[in-house]
Amino acid sequence: MAYVTFKDDNIRVKVSPGTTMRQVADKCGSSIPFGCRVGDCATCIVHVESGMLYLSEKSEKELKVLEMLGGDVSGLRLICQCQVRCEEGEIVISQGV
Amino acid sequence: MLGEVAALSPNVHFIGAFDPKIRTFDIIMKTANGSSYNSYLVRGSEGVAVMDTVKREFSDAFFRRLERLCSYDEIRYIVLHHLEPDHSGALVELMARAPKAKLIISGRAVMMLKGLVKQDIPYEVAATGKKISLGDRTIEFLSTPFLHWPETMSSYLHEEKILFSGDVFGSHYYDERLFDDCVGDFSYAFKYYYDHIMRPFKQHVLQALKLYRKFEIDIIAPLHGPVLRSNPAYYIEKYALWSSEAKFRKTEFGQKMLSVFYMSSYDNTHRMAERITEGADAVEGIVASMYDLASLETANMIDLLEESDAVVIGSPTINGDAVKPAWDLLACMAYLESGGKIGAAFGSYGWTGEAPEMLMERMRWLKFRLPVAPLKIKLIPTESELMDCEAFGREIAEITMGKMVEMEL
Repeated sequence: MAYVTFKDDNIRVKVSPGTTMRQVADKCGSSIPFGCRVGDCATCIVHVESGMLYLSEKSEKELKVLEMLGGDVSGLRLICQCQVRCEEGEIVISQGV
Repeated sequence: MLGEVAALSPNVHFIGAFDPKIRTFDIIMKTANGSSYNSYLVRGSEGVAVMDTVKREFSDAFFRRLERLCSYDEIRYIVLHHLEPDHSGALVELMARAPKAKLIISGRAVMMLKGLVKQDIPYEVAATGKKISLGDRTIEFLSTPFLHWPETMSSYLHEEKILFSGDVFGSHYYDERLFDDCVGDFSYAFKYYYDHIMRPFKQHVLQALKLYRKFEIDIIAPLHGPVLRSNPAYYIEKYALWSSEAKFRKTEFGQKMLSVFYMSSYDNTHRMAERITEGADAVEGIVASMYDLASLETANMIDLLEESDAVVIGSPTINGDAVKPAWDLLACMAYLESGGKIGAAFGSYGWTGEAPEMLMERMRWLKFRLPVAPLKIKLIPTESELMDCEAFGREIAEITMGKMVEMEL
């Protein structure tokens, strides 16, 4: 199984591949804030401290929104736009971007 | 009748509109004497920038002021620091009249712009560090998001040391004398505006203040109410103080607050509340307190919620619902920063018992963290059930203190 840790919330969740990160963040009771939930507003932006490769690739839309924010966006994701894609792996998320 | 066009400096003028009749703003705020939709015109040696527009119904006053100062062909930039309709209402008309103007918005504003104007208009995106030049005048942009919408930003006019702060430092206060040293006493409106608009975004306020502090500021030009030129540092310090004070107990005494809010009709939920509080309070670093919602005023609910790291709500189930004061308590979260607080719910019930789940569901949407299942007890709690209450309180307190929660979806 894959694990997602929300560092700011001290929550570690066991998840199956294909689960959207939005579901994970919502269901485990994390404090990740959501705005539009469709990838427009970047409210749910997080820093992926490790395990980026265990997440689905950034869609064109997500890339576009992240790039509009400026700076280095390689370690950033919109939680509402990605999903867990591996059987095994540790994904560590922190907030405060 | 249109009054004088007020000058902030020889090159910067107020071209906004006054709305002395408005009494309720954005549903949530009252104003006893109206407000203003502030817009400013900056002139440089190579053209003009218009900083924000006004509410659509007030477009006439805006365009008339603008026309006294420049021709539409001179406008090179239109900057929208905030897209809410009271500031973007004249945008489409202005862009039609000023075809050479380039619209500047923040990255987060892009999709919002489409939603507001329902048509494709060209724009350029600004983030911290981006500058535009009007020849002898330079405007630098600052990303100050979530104050109070995701897309908000600020800018700084270097040569005149003017900060265009967006809604930050605004007041719903009507006074055509415009400048803080000329208008009536608007301090209540300045605080009221902060409490209703900025208080839910304190951490973002503090981030914005960090950016503002890099600049020498002679004048703050907000989007509502008086222009602040007498002592800008005073207003900045007020915001800094108000945005920091929620953490007073944490920073001063190193404690985390756990608050148990309850209502009880036959003392059962009250007895649960007592033992939950006892259990929580035994955890090192936690100060647990309990409050009877029947005797808690709204303003005090807001202050207590803000200070609480964990919020535990107890309600009996009456007619298939939690009791109204419990919902009133949660409605207060609209005034506060959301996210990061631990939430939990409990209650004694006689028949159906869904109140704690309903409260938890509401807390989920309010972005509480909800690491423990609700605790429900049928009618009168036994001693063993009250021990469960203590364990429930202890568990919530330990998680509040940083205990890792492992779970599976």
